[in-house]
Amino acid sequence: MVYIIEAILLLGLIAIALTIIFGRDLMVAVVIYCAFSFITMFLYIIMGAPDVAFTEAVIGVISTVFFIIILRSIRRNIK
Amino acid sequence: MRKALTVILLVIVLTVPFVFFDILPVIGDPDSAPNSHVSDYYIEHAVEECNSPNMVTAVIVDYRAFDTMFETTVMFLAGIAVMLILAEHPKRKLMVPTRVRRLNVHEGSPVYRTVNKDVMVSVIQVLILIYAMYVLFHGEVSLGGGFQAGALIGMTYLLDVMVCRREQPLFRTTKYKAGAIAGLGPLLYAVTGMIPFIGGGLYLQYGKMPFAIHEAELHSIGITSVEIGVTIGVAATIITIINALTERIVFDDEI
Repeated sequence: MVYIIEAILLLGLIAIALTIIFGRDLMVAVVIYCAFSFITMFLYIIMGAPDVAFTEAVIGVISTVFFIIILRSIRRNIK
Repeated sequence: MRKALTVILLVIVLTVPFVFFDILPVIGDPDSAPNSHVSDYYIEHAVEECNSPNMVTAVIVDYRAFDTMFETTVMFLAGIAVMLILAEHPKRKLMVPTRVRRLNVHEGSPVYRTVNKDVMVSVIQVLILIYAMYVLFHGEVSLGGGFQAGALIGMTYLLDVMVCRREQPLFRTTKYKAGAIAGLGPLLYAVTGMIPFIGGGLYLQYGKMPFAIHEAELHSIGITSVEIGVTIGVAATIITIINALTERIVFDDEI
């Protein structure tokens, strides 16, 4: 059962990574990157490392805000 | 030339993992070298030697404390590097605005009119700070530790920068002050490591500290003060990076 959940999460990671690379809007890419770190957090919990999962959750939020601050400083409609 | 180099590097990177795949130990193999010597010792002795029920904390800040010290230093150097890269050019100072507008909240929306966000932010910040202190001082027992607590404190500051008005901040510093505070964290770590010299011990050997209490308690004191050093370093580094980023920014709703 755990393997099925893990496989679904890993496939989701691949899909999210492809979306980030080939997406047109940078803001959308940043928000989806937040989802990437969220799914990584679940994978860490499944692997039995709640310490790392906690760090990933906090740092995912902070780095997303950093990216959004940077995006607001450049021109928004760069595609 | 450059394309050929790229192709060669790509071929090496793609073939090496397959060639050396058999040499690497199997994941979770109980007979591999790290699992048969070091892990057993940690599992048997960590709790009684370091007085820390969480074995991860015992390994990170007691057995491998020298390693963690330089990880904290690397964090500090990253903050300094970001600060220097984004430093203001003295001649272009006029182009850099010092004003950071709050996020453009829809003030006409009835939901936002019922909530005073300055009050709500201070409540949320206090809750996050309490949680950070819990994570810091309870990190020996449960999951958590210095790094996570520092990141939570940095998150509090981030909330302050994002929501509060520039004229009435709850607490705010400049990037230079934050960078100086970030240096204090690794310093506290290094000084804690030097205290066992007085009792005739080695660097970071907490059991030889010159206090007249049981050795396990000495380990507790050492681990806690080292974690406080890591927390100061991480929190101040995050604050430095936030300040360096937001000082350069013209938000697009301001123009």
